[in-house]
Amino acid sequence: METILLTVYVLIWPVIVAGVLWTVCRGFLKDWAESRKAGRSII
Amino acid sequence: MVILLLVLLYGGTLLVSAYIGKKKENADGYMTAGNKVGFGISAASMTATWIWASSMYASATAGYTYGISGPIHYGLWGALMILFIYPFGKRIRAVAPKAHTLAEVMHARHGRSSQLMLAGSNIVGSVISLTSNFIAGGALVALLSPFSFGQGVLAVAVGVLMYTLWSGFRASVLTDFAQVVAMLGAVAIIIPVVFFAAGGPGMFEQGASNLTAQQSNFFSSDAFLNQGAPYIAAVLAYAIGNQTIAQRLFAVREDLIKKTFITATVGYGATVIGIGMVGVMALYLGVSPVGGDVNNLIPQMASTYLGPVLLSLFFVMILGALSSTADSDLSALSSIMMADVYGKNIAKKANPKTMLLVGRITMIVATAAALIFASQQMDILDLLVFVGALWGALVFPVIASFYWNKVTNKAFTTSVIVALAVFIPVRFSWFSMDGATGIVFDILSAAGIGIVLGLMVFGFFGLTPAKIVGALAAVVSAPFVIGFLHDYTVLTGSLVAYAVSTIICYLMSVRSNQSFDFALIKQRIGDYDPVADDGQATPDSETPDDDLDGSTLSARK
Repeated sequence: METILLTVYVLIWPVIVAGVLWTVCRGFLKDWAESRKAGRSII
Repeated sequence: MVILLLVLLYGGTLLVSAYIGKKKENADGYMTAGNKVGFGISAASMTATWIWASSMYASATAGYTYGISGPIHYGLWGALMILFIYPFGKRIRAVAPKAHTLAEVMHARHGRSSQLMLAGSNIVGSVISLTSNFIAGGALVALLSPFSFGQGVLAVAVGVLMYTLWSGFRASVLTDFAQVVAMLGAVAIIIPVVFFAAGGPGMFEQGASNLTAQQSNFFSSDAFLNQGAPYIAAVLAYAIGNQTIAQRLFAVREDLIKKTFITATVGYGATVIGIGMVGVMALYLGVSPVGGDVNNLIPQMASTYLGPVLLSLFFVMILGALSSTADSDLSALSSIMMADVYGKNIAKKANPKTMLLVGRITMIVATAAALIFASQQMDILDLLVFVGALWGALVFPVIASFYWNKVTNKAFTTSVIVALAVFIPVRFSWFSMDGATGIVFDILSAAGIGIVLGLMVFGFFGLTPAKIVGALAAVVSAPFVIGFLHDYTVLTGSLVAYAVSTIICYLMSVRSNQSFDFALIKQRIGDYDPVADDGQATPDSETPDDDLDGSTLSARK
C-alpha cells in the first residue's frame, strides 16, 4: 500500500505539469490568433 | 553537443526577439509591454521567471536531506509566494494601473526615501539572482562538456544579454514562453523516465532502510522547522520584494491577473516539487552526491539514468530555467533604473529615448557585474539573507500603504530601518539569547507569526477575519514558541523583522492626521512615452517633486 502511495506521490507531479503546459500553450495560441486577427504584435 | 545546444537555444531565442523587435522601441513597452499582455504569455512568463536553476537544485536537496516531505516544504511555499501576492496585486493594479515598478508606486504614495529603499532592495536581489543563474550555467556547462566554468558563465551571460537587450521586457516574456514549454515538457518526461530506469516502485521497498524515521515521515517536524517554516515566513517578503513579479503584475491585462497567478502557482509548485522527487529517489537509492556536494545530485541522477537525447533535454531544462530568470532580472533592473532612478530622481521631465538608453546600459552593466561576481565564484548568496530580511521588514509598510490612508513616509522609513537593525544581531547571534532576552524575542516571534498569517488572510478575506486569524495564531503559537524558537535564528530573525516593522509602522501611523487620497497615485503615474505601442498618444505622467507625505500632496491637488 505504502509503495503504491509513494509511486503515485512521485508520478503525480509530471502529470500536473503536463496539464499546466497544455493550459499555457492553449492560452498562447489564443493570444496569437487574436493578435493576428487584430493585425498587431502578440506582445 | 553542448555547443550545439547552446547555439540552438540562444540562437532560437534571439530569432524570437528579432521577430518582435522594433526599430524604435517604446519606453513603456520596454518596461511593461504596455500593460496588456494576454493570459498564455503572462502565465508562461510568471512560471518561467519564478523557476530558477537554484530552485530545482534546492528542491532536490530538500528531498535528499529531509526525505519525502522535503520537496513539499520547498516547492509548496515557493508556489504560495505567487498565490498570496495575487489579491494584493489586484489592489495595486487598481490603484496604479500604469505603473512600471512597485517602488515607483511608493514614490507616488510616500516620496523618495520609501521608493529608494524598495528599489535598492530590488536591485540587490536581482543582481544576486542574475549572478546565481550565471554560476549555475557555468557549473552545468563545466559538468557536461569539456569547457571550463568561466567559459560556461560567459556563454550564458552573452546569450541572455543578446536576446534581451533590444526589446527588454517584451523579449523577456515572449522568450519565456518558449523556455517554459522546454522546461515543463522536460519535467513531464524526465521524472517518470528516471523513476522507472532507477527501479520503479521497487526502490521504495529495497531502499526504505536508507531513510531515517524523520525522512520517511510525511509530517516530519525536522523538514517543517528547518525547511518549511522559514519559507512560510518568507512567502510575502519574496513576493513583495521581487520586481520580476511586480513587473508581470503591471504587464498582464487587468482582467487576467487572477487566472495568470493561479496557473503560475500550480505550474511552479508541480515543476519544482516534481524535480525534488529526484532527490527523494536518490535518497531511496542510497546515492552519494559527487564530491559531497548536494548540488551535483540532479546532474548526477540525470547522467546515470538518461540516454543522450533525454540528457540533452535535461540540459535544455536547466538552461531554460536559468535563462528565463536571468532575462527577467535584466528587465527588472533596467525598469528600476529607467523609472525609479532616471524617471523619478534624475530627469525633470523624462525623455523616452534617454530612458531606453538608460535601460540598455543598465542591462550591459548588470551583466558585466554579475559576470565578475560569478567568475570569481563569490559567495553572494549570503547577501540574500540581508535582502530577505529587508523584504520582510518592507512587507507590512508596503501593503498597508495601499489600503490605509494614515501610513506616512516617516512611519514607512523608520519602521523598515529599525526592523533591519534588530534583525541583523538576532540573525547572526551577536548576543546571548539566554534568559529574558530569548523570551522577549520569542514573544516578538509569536507576534510575527500572527502578522504573517493575518496579512495572508487579509489579502483574500479582508480586515476582520485577518485580525481574528492573526490574534489567534499569535496566541495559539505562543506556548510552543516562547522558550524554544530563539534557537532557530533564521526563523526568529525573519519573524522579528515582520513584527518590529509592523508595530512601529502601526504606532507611528495610527495617530497621524494624514488622510491620503489613493486616487492621486493614478494621476501621478502614467506612460512615459507619448506614443504607445498601438500608435495612439497617451497623456504625460504627473510626478511628485520630492519627499512628500500624502497630506502635503493632497493639499497641492
